[in-house]
Amino acid sequence: MVTVTFDKVRKAFGEAVAIPSLDLAIASGEFVSLLGPSGCGKTTTLRMLAGLEQPTAGEIMIGERTVNNLAPSERDIAMVFQSYALYPHMSVRENIAYPLRKRGVPKADRPAMVQAAADLLQLGPLLDRKPRQLSGGQQQRVALGRALVREPKVFLLDEPLSNLDAKLRAHMRAELIELHRRLGKTMVYVTHDQLEAMTMSTRIAVMQGGELQQFATPAEIYHRPANTFVAGFIGTPSMTLADGEITMDQGRPVLKLGTLSLELPADHLSERPEGTRRVTVAVRPEDILVGTGSFRANVRLVEPTGHESIVLVNAGDVGFTVRVAGDTVLKAGETIPLDLRRERIHVFDRESGRRLNADLAAATADPVRSRA
Amino acid sequence: MMPARRSTTMLANLVTWGLVLLISFPLIWMVVTSVRPQTELFQIPPTVIPRAITFEHYIKLLQETPFLRYFMNSMILATSTTIVVIVVGTLGAYSLVRFSYRGRETLAALVLFTYLLPSVVLIIPLYLMMVKLGLANTLTSLVIAYTTFALPYALWLLRSFMAGVPEDLESAALVDGASRIGAFIDVILPQALPGIISTALFTFILAWNEYLYALVMVNSDQARPLTTGVMNMLITSFNIEWSLLMAASVMMSIPLIIIFAFLQSYLTRGFGAGGVKG
Repeated sequence: MVTVTFDKVRKAFGEAVAIPSLDLAIASGEFVSLLGPSGCGKTTTLRMLAGLEQPTAGEIMIGERTVNNLAPSERDIAMVFQSYALYPHMSVRENIAYPLRKRGVPKADRPAMVQAAADLLQLGPLLDRKPRQLSGGQQQRVALGRALVREPKVFLLDEPLSNLDAKLRAHMRAELIELHRRLGKTMVYVTHDQLEAMTMSTRIAVMQGGELQQFATPAEIYHRPANTFVAGFIGTPSMTLADGEITMDQGRPVLKLGTLSLELPADHLSERPEGTRRVTVAVRPEDILVGTGSFRANVRLVEPTGHESIVLVNAGDVGFTVRVAGDTVLKAGETIPLDLRRERIHVFDRESGRRLNADLAAATADPVRSRA
Repeated sequence: MMPARRSTTMLANLVTWGLVLLISFPLIWMVVTSVRPQTELFQIPPTVIPRAITFEHYIKLLQETPFLRYFMNSMILATSTTIVVIVVGTLGAYSLVRFSYRGRETLAALVLFTYLLPSVVLIIPLYLMMVKLGLANTLTSLVIAYTTFALPYALWLLRSFMAGVPEDLESAALVDGASRIGAFIDVILPQALPGIISTALFTFILAWNEYLYALVMVNSDQARPLTTGVMNMLITSFNIEWSLLMAASVMMSIPLIIIFAFLQSYLTRGFGAGGVKG
């Protein structure tokens, strides 16, 4: 069983603090994605786990072992780099065999192990080529082969798919999911691509500004974002975020969004606001209904993508992004009826960005995925 | 091909070959003179193609003069300097590129600064130091002296080569189980090899051709390299042994010509790296 634990880990580069304090507990056999925009500290976190960066404070554990002062070679990990980092002067065979050579695996055992890894990734015919003679996808598979030839405790992957074209990326995504299921190893995956994180992970750690925003299953992150950053970051197209106010009216919370006013379910919020509460509201494009409801909306722009269309509308003085079926006929300039699925409206405190929903319904509805 | 185009090409060829001839004339003359009999040397009008070819000057040079000792000295001197400069320079350049420590950039700039100092101003202090160290009049003193001006320049050249080796490669080697020095040997060195070879060539040529330091710091025949040795042996105030001098010159050039012929591609790569990044 190999867990990975970050305990109050801090990383500063001179004066610049990259990660103020990170707590993260990854269970054994999990596929965890570190997801966030550029510069959010996800790669730094991975490099600290690999031993390529030294944490300024705090403790990093792999299994029961504190690894802070261990060299990368002593951590029993393997890593796939964004650039693949294949050794250009070595053949594919030598590349894959390199970790075995460095770890003192007897020479006689190496060919069989290299062959096994090559078979798993269909690299057999390429073994005698040099990395520069391979396509991007093949190089990527060699990098994976080099990582898994030795059966390390933890796999670290640093944006391994970002240099591939879209089609190949989708293919490799499926292969990686398959690989994780087969090996059952703990994997930590860094990406800025939410699609990758959502499709592959058992849990996602969303990071921003060096801080962990939310660590949960993809479904939970999608349906119950912990704060306004996660709400705005996850989902394509993004949620509509708008500032509003909530007041209590006869025991029910009433949300005012500009000129729109709507009553929320009585148990919608985790706490009753006293007086008027300034909030930020987030609504997913699919939680906005057109053609029904009491609000009037003005269609600003229609972006058809085939099976669905993304529609930008103005209702009151709020601009909403709406997802509708591809066969819905809408024209810019048209005025249409519009409604919001009230139980799906996400409410956040405007100052702290913290989630205020009670989430009773959502909590039971979430399918928790796990391949481990 | 159109006639106009053909005549342009011919003209270009003519000019090019003319230039080549002009530039290589002293070299050709050197070779021709070295195989010309003594009697033909000062003949007027001079003959371009010698009437007879003789190797007597070469034989005399090898048998009757300390030419071979000087050659050996030069070989030891250039090789040792190259080894010292490459070992120190490679590790130093790696440190300048990979490690972050206080004053790293200042150090790199200072190194460049020492390279900018005219080497003439260092001769006297260096000589006095060598005397104090008891190294005056030895090949070692020349190795040290050459290292002082070859190393800064090697450091800068190698630094640009090392900077071109992706850091991920080294990180990958570390994660794969290599120690830092292991990663350096397995991954960095093979990648930086063209740079190391071209730097080694520059250093070797520098040490092979150096004259001024050799003249000032060594005046015993035992430790004299080719440059000053040949000069001392064949050129006196009253006489210049032209035939022997040319034969010596030809033989002095042979190692460099061989090096250039075999490693030319590395050398031009070195020029490129220095020009773009250094």
